[in-house]
Amino acid sequence: MSAIGGTTTVSGDAALDPEAEETRTGTPDPEDGTDVSRRRWPRVLGALLTVALIATGGALYAEGRQLRDTPATANLALTDAEATTRVTGDVSSALSKVFSYGPGATATTRAAAEEVLAGKALQQYAALFGQVERQSADQKLTLTTEVVRSGVTRLTDDSAHLLVFLDQVYERRGRTPTTASAQLTVVAELRDGRWWIVEIGST
Amino acid sequence: MTPRTRHLGGWAVLLVAALVCGLGAWSYGQARGDRSLSYAKARDTALAEGRAHLATLNSLDGENARRVDDGLRAWLDSSTGPLHDELARTREADAKSLTAAGDTARGKVTSAALTALDERTGTAELIATVDVEVTPRSGAAGTQRKRFGATLARTADGWKVKALTAIGTGGGR
Repeated sequence: MSAIGGTTTVSGDAALDPEAEETRTGTPDPEDGTDVSRRRWPRVLGALLTVALIATGGALYAEGRQLRDTPATANLALTDAEATTRVTGDVSSALSKVFSYGPGATATTRAAAEEVLAGKALQQYAALFGQVERQSADQKLTLTTEVVRSGVTRLTDDSAHLLVFLDQVYERRGRTPTTASAQLTVVAELRDGRWWIVEIGST
Repeated sequence: MTPRTRHLGGWAVLLVAALVCGLGAWSYGQARGDRSLSYAKARDTALAEGRAHLATLNSLDGENARRVDDGLRAWLDSSTGPLHDELARTREADAKSLTAAGDTARGKVTSAALTALDERTGTAELIATVDVEVTPRSGAAGTQRKRFGATLARTADGWKVKALTAIGTGGGR
């Protein structure tokens, strides 16, 4: 910069001595060149460092994302202990309610079913229960269902898949009761803060 | 003026880059140190390995003495602790009776769930339904549906079955 300023001030004399101008403008050049190359290094270094830092940050972030975004973390079964216990409890009590009835109390069971079953499960249940009501009245049949074990296979914020082991005791008046075991896979959904059974399948 | 702002601009860019790197490192560190993450992974591993072992423990090829021996060795490989000791103790007798019977069983886990997992002590509780297809030496094959409760323990060689109980009717608890 000062070199250019220098040339303009001496430009008046330059007409008298053209050689002088040449030497004057020529001399600062090599000095300016070393200055530029000396100043370029930190800039190049800075740029490289910037790129390296951003790349490292990005790579670490991606790696962290990958660690986090596995199917394992999407499933809250057991990791969310409270929610797991709650859905297991709700579904277990619901199943023992809807699969227990006495000859005179099928209406109570039916009413209870409408409180805990929804969707496909309710349709299946309604179709089955008409038959059961007749049978229960005719044969004086009492069914008591008890949940023996239950586990959550998959749990998200508003849906759950469970495996439930049941023991069912059939009592006909005047006969010794018989016990049968049943294994069900249950799909439940959280609606309005309550778990509803939406699908029941046998394993 | 211009070189000065450029100078400052350069430092600003570098600072932003350092921040990006720091944030990335922090996010990664969080993921690494996430307890629920390692817990979730342990849960899935225990379930998968438990399923495989349960299928093994319900399978045996009884065609000849050598295959029975292979099957019994697989049982030992799938078990640990009390169950392993028990199987090792009865191995000779088992080999004799199973070879004499000659039945072949093939177990398939149809559904399974963990009911408990303690990552610190390395134990887990598993429930499962197993279809066992039994082919007698003579006669028609049949399928038995069984339900089990198993206690798993973490060993140096992965999760193994420590205790196995059939949950029959009425005797569930």
